[in-house]
Amino acid sequence: MQPISTANFQPRLKVLNREQALAIHNAALEILEKIGFQMEHKGALEKLLSAGCKVFNDGRVRLPAYLVEEALSSAPRQITLYDQKGHESMSLVGETTFYGTGSDATFTLDLETGQRRRTVLKDVANFAKLVDGLNNIDFNMSMANPEDVPIESIYIWVFAEMVRNTNKPIVFIADSGRDIAKIWEIACLIAGGEEELQKRPFLLNYSEAISPLRFPENVMEKLIFCAERKVPVCLPSGSNAGGGAPVTLAGAMALGLAENMVGLVVHQLAGKGSPFLFGPNVSTLDMKSSIVSYGCPEWSLSQAALADMRDEIYGLPIWAYAGASDSKVMDAQAGAEAMFSIITAMLSRTNLIHDVAFLEYGNTSSLEMLTMADELVAMSRFFTRGIPVTEETLALGAIERVASGGPGSIFLMDDHTFENFMDAQFLPKLLDRSRYDSWEGCGAMDLYKRCNVEARKILAEHQVEPKSPQVLKGIDEILKGCQK
Amino acid sequence: MSKFKQLNEAIIKGDMKLAVEQTQRALDEGSNAQDIIDNGLISAMDEVGERFSKGLLFVPQMLRAAKTMQECMKLVEPLLKEGDLTSKGKVLIGTVKGDLHDIGKNLVSMMMEGAGFTITDLGVDVSPEKFVQKALEVEPDIVAMSALLSTTMPAMPKTIEALQNAGIRNKVRVMIGGAPVTSKYAQEINADSYAADAGSAVIAAKKLLGIS
Repeated sequence: MQPISTANFQPRLKVLNREQALAIHNAALEILEKIGFQMEHKGALEKLLSAGCKVFNDGRVRLPAYLVEEALSSAPRQITLYDQKGHESMSLVGETTFYGTGSDATFTLDLETGQRRRTVLKDVANFAKLVDGLNNIDFNMSMANPEDVPIESIYIWVFAEMVRNTNKPIVFIADSGRDIAKIWEIACLIAGGEEELQKRPFLLNYSEAISPLRFPENVMEKLIFCAERKVPVCLPSGSNAGGGAPVTLAGAMALGLAENMVGLVVHQLAGKGSPFLFGPNVSTLDMKSSIVSYGCPEWSLSQAALADMRDEIYGLPIWAYAGASDSKVMDAQAGAEAMFSIITAMLSRTNLIHDVAFLEYGNTSSLEMLTMADELVAMSRFFTRGIPVTEETLALGAIERVASGGPGSIFLMDDHTFENFMDAQFLPKLLDRSRYDSWEGCGAMDLYKRCNVEARKILAEHQVEPKSPQVLKGIDEILKGCQK
Repeated sequence: MSKFKQLNEAIIKGDMKLAVEQTQRALDEGSNAQDIIDNGLISAMDEVGERFSKGLLFVPQMLRAAKTMQECMKLVEPLLKEGDLTSKGKVLIGTVKGDLHDIGKNLVSMMMEGAGFTITDLGVDVSPEKFVQKALEVEPDIVAMSALLSTTMPAMPKTIEALQNAGIRNKVRVMIGGAPVTSKYAQEINADSYAADAGSAVIAAKKLLGIS
């Protein structure tokens, strides 16, 4: 047998060559140098001007390419997120991939009735708890825009509800410099102080600039807040093809990247070396319904391209999406679209992958969808690992034993099978492979129903390790000041 | 579709050059301006709206048709006496205070304009005071507000309150829309209508004003 000395090949998706990657990158730089952008935050504008940017007569800021190069080289290549107990949890670097939920769904599919209804704070708790109990979902976002909390401080309430119900890392939303300060206070309580939080951050702020090329004051406020305190942050704009950006993907990517570069430059000027997760959101605006699609192949393609650009040019960990759908219910469309984006996001090695379990183009969340996605991520991980080729996996010994073992000798009986099957095979929990009669005997349930049962079971049985009474009390006190 | 068949078809296809040529030809041949508008332009846009709602046209095709119609209007409009131009209604529209997102709002504007409404677009980050001030000035039939951020939604009831305080709430119909907005929310804040997208905004506006 020929021994295998090199590491095994792992399947990998590539969609751009180096020439294409550089062309898109150069187009992004050209957008910043020639077309410019609107910066509506005075402090950020001052930082940009003293670093070498110029405001032209049209009021738009022009940013020279060298500032982007400097920011790319000072931003860290690795962002490590910890869980809320201080254990290393997600090391965003190179080709690592992590999956988590999305934020701000207006509706959810009710677990009891199956009906689409307006989200409430309890939904934030349920999603956080389910994320906590699922093995392949790595981080949590709110999945709800609850109607039963004061809207002016909605993100503080949502954050508090998340930390009460999961210990996994959190990607959070804030409105402005005001509520992000409160959220940060809660985070400091949990981590055991500002320094501890800096050393072991368990949170990452998600914020958006407005395409094309507009940077609102409140968005910059949050960005600078995070830069100064080394809270990891990302700033993908909604440069959706045909909506905020040109309908062609190359142009939409160039615009989205340009917008991300402005964010990165301001961020590094405000806090050199602070962690910045790179990458835009480049989906499509649907040309019939005008929704931004969460099930289209374009978004998966653009983020695969971004991963190639990361490898060729940027070197920073990147932001991505997967596991979502435009379908209104958890049906075959939802399964197909979720799997398409989950496996391609993994095969192209995007790093932090959010929006898992969205239905209805991000308008509705579903606990069943999240439960299904957990299994689809596991299936994809199995595939992406490739085929380990070793003496043990080539199994010539087993072949010899069974082939020469005489009548009645089968692989199922061989020790090699017993010793290897758990690792050698993908063993699904929810994807049904049972024989017909047994499936029928168990209630003839489809995947949606099975996921419903599983989600209910996890919510009923999973125990989230609680925060200390002092921390909980501290959170309550912060919330008391946010009744309105 | 009538004597303006070629003009109708040019608008539906978004063939700007041909549509403008056809409009000029109709004028040269002595057609009445109001007749061209009603049976050449608006009727074509009605057909476009119909086809779009059946899923036979895509958004850019519809917008191109609207743009084509506007180009033709430029030729015809100067020939009308002031006050002759029939509008389906006047709409004052804007993204509410604190919110700078305008793709959806712009789409609503364009589709309403294409459907024959007269639009006054206040842009983004429009304060309740600004809505009121402009409403007093242009006396719209409809005030339409958009918000993308849940945190800016409270500006909607504040604007309604401001219209109330200015004594013009009962003179206008209020429509709202935007990603986090729901019909339930519209009821809660006493808006008159909610629309989920640009197409249904046109339908809702027509319904509010009792026109087909």
